[in-house]
Amino acid sequence: MGVLLRNLQKVVPIRRARLRKDVDTLRHILGIQKFDLGIICVDNNKIQHLNKIYRKKNVPTDVLSFPFYEDIRPGKLPCPLHRDELNLGDIFLGVEFVMKQCQEKSLDLHGALTVVTAHGICHLLGYRHDTDDEWAEMLQKESYILREYNKLTGRHLEPLT
Amino acid sequence: MLKSVVRAVGAAVRISSATTTTARALPLSCPTLCSPSSATTRPFTRSLWMLSNNGASSTCRQTLFRSKVLNPSMSCGCGELHTEGDKAFGSFLSDEIKEEKKIQKNKTLPKMSGGWELEMNGTEAKLTRNVAGEKITVTFNVNNSIPPNFEEEIEQGQQKSAEDEPEIVSTPNFVVEITKQAAKHSLVFDCHFPEDEMSHGDGEEESDIFAIREVSFQPEGDSEWKETSYTLNTDSLDWALYDHLMDFLADRGVDNTFADELTELSTTIEHQEYIKFLEDLQGFVKCN
Repeated sequence: MGVLLRNLQKVVPIRRARLRKDVDTLRHILGIQKFDLGIICVDNNKIQHLNKIYRKKNVPTDVLSFPFYEDIRPGKLPCPLHRDELNLGDIFLGVEFVMKQCQEKSLDLHGALTVVTAHGICHLLGYRHDTDDEWAEMLQKESYILREYNKLTGRHLEPLT
Repeated sequence: MLKSVVRAVGAAVRISSATTTTARALPLSCPTLCSPSSATTRPFTRSLWMLSNNGASSTCRQTLFRSKVLNPSMSCGCGELHTEGDKAFGSFLSDEIKEEKKIQKNKTLPKMSGGWELEMNGTEAKLTRNVAGEKITVTFNVNNSIPPNFEEEIEQGQQKSAEDEPEIVSTPNFVVEITKQAAKHSLVFDCHFPEDEMSHGDGEEESDIFAIREVSFQPEGDSEWKETSYTLNTDSLDWALYDHLMDFLADRGVDNTFADELTELSTTIEHQEYIKFLEDLQGFVKCN
């Protein structure tokens, strides 16, 4: 059980230990430590390619989630029957895209990566933002996660808007 | 401190351009990590075979020996053996050398960014850099540094143009040695470029660009690898410790950018050495 971390790009220097620690803190807050989770850092080309294939949007983006469980109710943890089902899925972080946003807004890269990872984990847990109601529900969850994260770390992160 | 950085996975055999149409080509979905776009690459004009020790080589030698005995040699008066085969071989090599020089992208070795100094010893390259009292040395050998192709069966009758052929990229194992001024031992990382068998599709199952295989302390400057030193194998390592080790290397200039540039450098050296070998072979075969 753990976080499978991969860094497939060379554009942005990633502190792997920091990223893993932040993701582990988010998992602790959500009580999902028993589930495996993939975090894959990619550049603009790669995330644009994935965005085009899976969302028909030919532009780079900050995060793409690939849930292992596709039809779970938001907020309800999956109940796997087998060991190999203790998996939430993969989150692709568009670290080049996030870095550009951070440079424009003078934000800390790893803080921003924590925020987009929290957003990605919410998707793995069944949250969506296709409607206003869904958006509000997801935003509420992200706000809760980051509030707890800030309490534990002393940081001041806010959800994606 | 030179642990063998040779990957004993197979031998590469280049074939002439005239025979590439019949050669088995790599699949188009070659792992992207094995062929970074910025690396100096060239068309895949070499087929690869896996070494096998099933006695085939000794049989081959006997056959060749018999052929020498049965076929009289040509003589040019130099006192050495020259056969029709040697002549054909020399002509083949001449064409092959021309072809390889034509596709050679870099005549000079590409520079590594970050102030690394390069020292060559045959097929072995050593990169050295000093950072605030620490000496960082990276050693690799271009021999057997081209990974075997995970080729899929090509459908009968399928033709591929030269542009469709994947390019050769040298991805050698490399050893990073970090020496601190006051320490008796160096910290040594045995690194490699993972071969992605899974990433033939859209690449969701990809590995890191490079990975640490083993870590150990070794006496500084010793050429022999001390097997009695504790060796940390990363296969079953705590992932958090692994990440700290990767960050440690990145702080010393060994990161994904470095690894990408290393493949470019190694690819260029490997190709130069290959052409040099062909020229030596041509000189050996032909009549002097």
